[in-house]
Amino acid sequence: MSILNRLSLRHHLDDAALAAIWTERAAPGRGGAAEAAHLDACADCRARYAAFAAWLEDVRFEARAEADQAFPPDRLALQQIQITRRLEALERPARVIPFPRFARPIASEPSGPRRWIAVAAAAGLIVGLGVGQLLDLRHTLDRPGTFSEAGSRTIARNMSPERPALQPVSSVSSDESLMSEAEGSLPRGLEALDALTPRARDYDQPR
Amino acid sequence: MSGAQAAGVPAREVDGRAASAVKALQAEGRHAEARDRYAELVSRHQRRAARIAFHYLRDAAEADEAVQDAFVRAFSHLATFRAELPFEIWFTRILINGCLDRIKARKRRERWLAPMPGSGPFDQGYAERVPGREPSPEDQVLARERRQQLAAALAKLPERQRSVFMLSHYEGCTSREVSAVTGLKESTVRVHLFRAIRRLRTLLGESSRVTGAAIPGEKHRVHP
Repeated sequence: MSILNRLSLRHHLDDAALAAIWTERAAPGRGGAAEAAHLDACADCRARYAAFAAWLEDVRFEARAEADQAFPPDRLALQQIQITRRLEALERPARVIPFPRFARPIASEPSGPRRWIAVAAAAGLIVGLGVGQLLDLRHTLDRPGTFSEAGSRTIARNMSPERPALQPVSSVSSDESLMSEAEGSLPRGLEALDALTPRARDYDQPR
Repeated sequence: MSGAQAAGVPAREVDGRAASAVKALQAEGRHAEARDRYAELVSRHQRRAARIAFHYLRDAAEADEAVQDAFVRAFSHLATFRAELPFEIWFTRILINGCLDRIKARKRRERWLAPMPGSGPFDQGYAERVPGREPSPEDQVLARERRQQLAAALAKLPERQRSVFMLSHYEGCTSREVSAVTGLKESTVRVHLFRAIRRLRTLLGESSRVTGAAIPGEKHRVHP
């Protein structure tokens, strides 16, 4: 016996020591010999240990009584029936709820030839569009005086040194000349309406 | 009790034989007979299973579901059952895992839902659970308070300590059995049991102390 244990034996057993002894008795191991020896020798500690064990027994009784109250025999019988039902259900494959059917089933009809016709029509359309585009492009490229020649002539004329690329602002016709041009080009049917309409310059001039 | 048990055959052997028979019947495709044979195992372990589930979940309806789930799962996985392990241990492991899963799920739910008054596991359906033949309303109230204190103290224990305590103390399992169920070493089981008792003693405090129990100040009284 160690010195520490001998010293501890001079004291009464505390709760931890009582718990250790109880644990040792409930689940035997290799410890607690000193405490057990003290317990045998000390009547006071034996009484306290008996009280401790009774408290634990009360705890156990209360817990079991509560659980048994929660599960009376009729509830257990019902539980067993439910377990049996669930075990039976394990063997049956899960029922798949069918999707609501149309009045005229679509999938059941033979759709092979119809599908081929649709595919052929789509393919023909795509090929036709492609060929048409190719032919049109070739036709455009082969025609004399096409965009390439005319375009190059226009560009060459615009870039010629005797013609200025941009006209000065002063040479552009004024607003009034623009308006008179616009009025002169009025269609005949609108002239009467134009005569009735007041002009801005009538209001600008001082009276 | 079956005839074999009456004849003195240990319950473990009876369970082992029944489980092996169910397994064989399942393998042969005789499912109805397998179910009938399995019903024996259910009726033998049902009460204990309900108790364990109730101690974990503290709610009769949820414990009921957990027990049903465990029995159904055990039946459908019986092919993995090894005869050298007692059926009781194997089944208890399934049951406890199911209960722990439910506790986790409940905690997740509680994180999102505000608790309703009267919906807690301690006060739900208690009036229904107490039969009318109980001694008196006062006794019922006192018993309920004691049980609530005990349940609250148990809930404060770490999960392993709680499992070890409940299996060892409530269900009377040996440390080897607890070790097989929980997967802990036997020495660890003893340590957890000791710590659980010591902590429970502290948590339940003076109210739970029986006459003659130690007073904190007198912890190290010198021996006369």
